[in-house]
Amino acid sequence: MTEFLQALILGLLIGGVYALLASGLTLIFGVMNVINIAHGAFLILAAFVTWSIWRATGLDPLAAIVLLTPLMFAFGWLLYKITVGPIRTAPPAASVLLTFGLALFLEGVMGVIWGNTSHSVRPAYSTDSFRIGELFLPKAQVYGGLVAIVVLATLYLVLMRSWLGRAIRASAVNPQGAELVGVNVASVAALTFAVGVGSAGAGGAIASVLYPFLPGSHYQWIARLLGIIVLGGMGSLPGAVIGALCLGVAELMTVTYIGPEWATGVPYVFVFIVLLVRPQGILGTRLRQDVATA
Amino acid sequence: MQKLRWLVLALLAVAALAAAGCGGDDDDNGGGGGGGKASGEPIKVGASLPLTGEFSEPGKAAKQGYEVWQAMVNDSGGLIDGRPVKMVIKDDQSNQNTIVSDYNALISQDKVELLLGTFSSLLNLPASTVAERNRMLYVEPAGGAPELFDRGFKYLFFAQQATADKQGEVWANYVTDLPDNERPKTAAYPTLDDPFAQPTSEGIEAIFKKAGIKTVYRSTYTIDNPNLDGIASAMKAKKPDVVVNGATFEDGVGMVRALRKAGFTPKMLYQTTAPSLGDQYAKAIGKETTEGIFYAVSHSKEAETPGNTEFVKKYQEMFGGTEVPEDAADAYATAQVLQAAVKAVGTIERDKQIELADWLRENEVDTILGPLSWDELGRPEGEFLVGQWQSGVPEIVLPKEAATSDKIIPEWQPGGSG
Repeated sequence: MTEFLQALILGLLIGGVYALLASGLTLIFGVMNVINIAHGAFLILAAFVTWSIWRATGLDPLAAIVLLTPLMFAFGWLLYKITVGPIRTAPPAASVLLTFGLALFLEGVMGVIWGNTSHSVRPAYSTDSFRIGELFLPKAQVYGGLVAIVVLATLYLVLMRSWLGRAIRASAVNPQGAELVGVNVASVAALTFAVGVGSAGAGGAIASVLYPFLPGSHYQWIARLLGIIVLGGMGSLPGAVIGALCLGVAELMTVTYIGPEWATGVPYVFVFIVLLVRPQGILGTRLRQDVATA
Repeated sequence: MQKLRWLVLALLAVAALAAAGCGGDDDDNGGGGGGGKASGEPIKVGASLPLTGEFSEPGKAAKQGYEVWQAMVNDSGGLIDGRPVKMVIKDDQSNQNTIVSDYNALISQDKVELLLGTFSSLLNLPASTVAERNRMLYVEPAGGAPELFDRGFKYLFFAQQATADKQGEVWANYVTDLPDNERPKTAAYPTLDDPFAQPTSEGIEAIFKKAGIKTVYRSTYTIDNPNLDGIASAMKAKKPDVVVNGATFEDGVGMVRALRKAGFTPKMLYQTTAPSLGDQYAKAIGKETTEGIFYAVSHSKEAETPGNTEFVKKYQEMFGGTEVPEDAADAYATAQVLQAAVKAVGTIERDKQIELADWLRENEVDTILGPLSWDELGRPEGEFLVGQWQSGVPEIVLPKEAATSDKIIPEWQPGGSG
């Protein structure tokens, strides 16, 4: 029983962090129909920048989020203007190719700057845990999970309460309609992309403490994140949170009861099952083209 | 039309550059070939090492070892016929595909006359195939996976004391020989999916099982998704007395940290590779956490093996610091083996390298790791040293005659030696 509870706790904690990382990806897809394959690379980039800041100043990686989020936001906005913006109205396949190219490019650049070696950020608390009886809650995961919840809640409030949030949701549901009522869909798309990359900045700072990373780690992350948003329903923020928690718990249960070598396959199993049983995901709505062919 | 013209121009430019590049190479090769007979022409010795990627820590150390050898050989009048050595070292990025093209390029483009091996079984497995096909002697500094030697290769030699399955033998025998009340009853074996780490942990498990130490946990994890917290928690539930972790650097460090997080301290902790990486290891897990951790090691800087003092001195002179990484020493010893064979046979010609291999099969070579000898398949026939971290310093504790410390700490005591 202890073993089961322990796996559950560890899974939920890591799932919270996955949720933050997946939120940006699902948001970008929801608004722009862009599957951002470079999302994993953005997060690894943020992790490397966190590492450099931590090395140079000793600043806590979780405090570095305050710096990294705006930094990655600006980077995302710039990148959108240069690369993704010009093909916004092209079919989704074009954006997949483009962002895949971006991911490879970033991987190369990171290799040149930081070297193709494994890094990890190790603040003093990274080997400590909170204890409840027999159970342990690693401090890094707890802090990371808490920060992820705060960032996610902020994101949710922005989406639900602010004008920008309404504009983003309007653009996602009906771009033409949004244009009609005076929303500039093109600049909303740019802001959404930047918000998505900004959230990868916050997530990357947290992930840098939890997992060792090297430039090539982004493949593993994008597989995981795509698994999450496919499960949760592509484009749905609450769906991404549910998907992330499910994946976190499923990974830890796999490690505990089947064997760690099988954990890598969990996201793919998710994708298979979802596509077979419920193609729109847990909270996804059917896209118009799905309905038309159904 | 305009575009097409640019394209043609660009293609022509590329073709011209490529032709110039090839031409340059040809000139070099011609000169090298012709100058081979003249004394003083450097002998190119090629190797590709994982200078970046997963194995970059040991890879960089191995490079230092080769460079120390190059400096020392050249100081003492060259390798053969008074010809100095020039190392040609490539970076394979810890990638099994890159290493194949690297060794092919070393042989066919760089025209190296001799080869030296790379780091880790994973990379030596494909690299040794290239050497074998080209009939060039291939002595490797690491790569003790048994499967390397199951292929009947004639040019492959491993320049450490024993293959991976026997790496933990001395330590495992020490544990099983402990008096009943001190001997562990149960063991856990979390292991990286790696051709070196796995046989090492299986070798130890076999000895433990025979002595009645029960296996309560065994699992294999991958380097990109280790999930070590989950493993630590699963082990904690099984409460093994001893944990044997087949690891490389990053996951080895992660495992210790995960055990600390889980609040689980097994009586004994044995790891492959990571603890032998000196200061880096202590820095990564914290010096106070190292107390009592066991590992197998091939080299000790205090050892009184022939040439060891000179090697250590030269290493410190070239790279500073007080520690000498084991992998640097292994690489140096590898080059010593190559050197001994070349000196004894007196040739480095391509079609005569089988004579070098035959000589190694029949003779013992004195290295800084101690005397090394090999069986028909290039497997070394010696025993590893057992190391243990004591008061923040890596010491040799077994076998007795090589020990640098007169005590063995019976338990892992993270949090201080008291």
